[in-house]
Amino acid sequence: MEIAFLLIGGAGAGIFGSLLGLGGGVLIVPLLTLGAGLSIREAVGVSLVCVIVNSGAAASVFLRRRAANLRLGMLLELSTAAGALVGGLIAFLLSDRVLALFFAILLVYVATTMLRAARRSGLPVAQPRPLDTGGMDAAVNPPGRRTPIDRLSGPGYTVRRLVPGSLGGIGAGIVSALLGIGGGIIMVPVMNLVMGVPLRVATATSNLMIGVTATASAIIYLMRGGIDAYVAAPTAIGVFVGASIGARVVGRVDVRLLRMLFVVVQLYVALQMVLRALAVS
Amino acid sequence: MVGQPHPPRALEGPLEDTIARLLSIGTYVSVALLAVGFAGMLLGGISPFAPSPALDPGTLVSELLAGRAAGFLWLGLLAVIATPMGRVLLALVGFVRAREWEMVAVSAGILGVITLSVVLARLTEA
Repeated sequence: MEIAFLLIGGAGAGIFGSLLGLGGGVLIVPLLTLGAGLSIREAVGVSLVCVIVNSGAAASVFLRRRAANLRLGMLLELSTAAGALVGGLIAFLLSDRVLALFFAILLVYVATTMLRAARRSGLPVAQPRPLDTGGMDAAVNPPGRRTPIDRLSGPGYTVRRLVPGSLGGIGAGIVSALLGIGGGIIMVPVMNLVMGVPLRVATATSNLMIGVTATASAIIYLMRGGIDAYVAAPTAIGVFVGASIGARVVGRVDVRLLRMLFVVVQLYVALQMVLRALAVS
Repeated sequence: MVGQPHPPRALEGPLEDTIARLLSIGTYVSVALLAVGFAGMLLGGISPFAPSPALDPGTLVSELLAGRAAGFLWLGLLAVIATPMGRVLLALVGFVRAREWEMVAVSAGILGVITLSVVLARLTEA
């Protein structure tokens, strides 16, 4: 029964995560804390494992399709991994109640972001800035003669504001390590709105980055006994299977309705987390 | 041509394909190892909420040889964590071969941060 709960719960997180473009951590941590009675830190350790598995599967597809920007992703991984290292160390200093409160704030932020995205979905999308090649296209301008910014940019867009983007990466890494999420919920808007990366590329690149970001903190959790092998295995297998199913049915599901349902669930879970933080429930 | 530097190798496509293959294989191997460990849990009647076995690198091989669930679970978890690290290492080699020195520095920096997290985790181990 307990095993079925973790397998099915993990699969549900994987399906919903891939349908809604989330790494799954936002769903796995509440599942393990509110559903299975684990502490937030134990749940975060398991969630980080699931997030890495999910990232590995998704990123391989995005790289093959040339949807992810490898160089930009790796540059930003420097800051997300550094943030995750700091966050992984801080996580063991904070109480479960403080982490629950942080998680509630994260859920409200995610719900608000989803509502905004739903409202914007009917509006025209801003076009990316054209790549300034000085009249030469990428084929004429060989990699050896391009500037570093050119090499980080892709077809039809020029990457800008590397420093604010990297600072956002540090924040995403800290939040990832503290709350067991991939950090895409922060990095996708940072890349898209701050750095001028098209949303589709930002999403794919974020998926690639999540694995390294989560690894930097997962090592700390692993070596400090923060990963429960018995819970991690069925949950990660469930997430892997669920994400594979989600990727296949994504075109056939009304995501708008799903998103609204998900916002309601997230707000309810946020309330439960606040009650946990206040030690009421 | 003597004395002229060799042009950097074009690696945009091949490197991304190689990394994609590594991620794919790493993920499947990790999940397969976790699945073997999970099957061992089922056969041994082990509850997922039973106290988790600790990771002990010294006994990992003997646990694997004895076919114990914990050995496969830990090997699977180590494979999960090793896969993104392997991806960065592979990218480092690819960028060195293409002489993209900025990206070589970036890749080395990421590996440095990951190594630092191992060292700091070791120093602050519970």
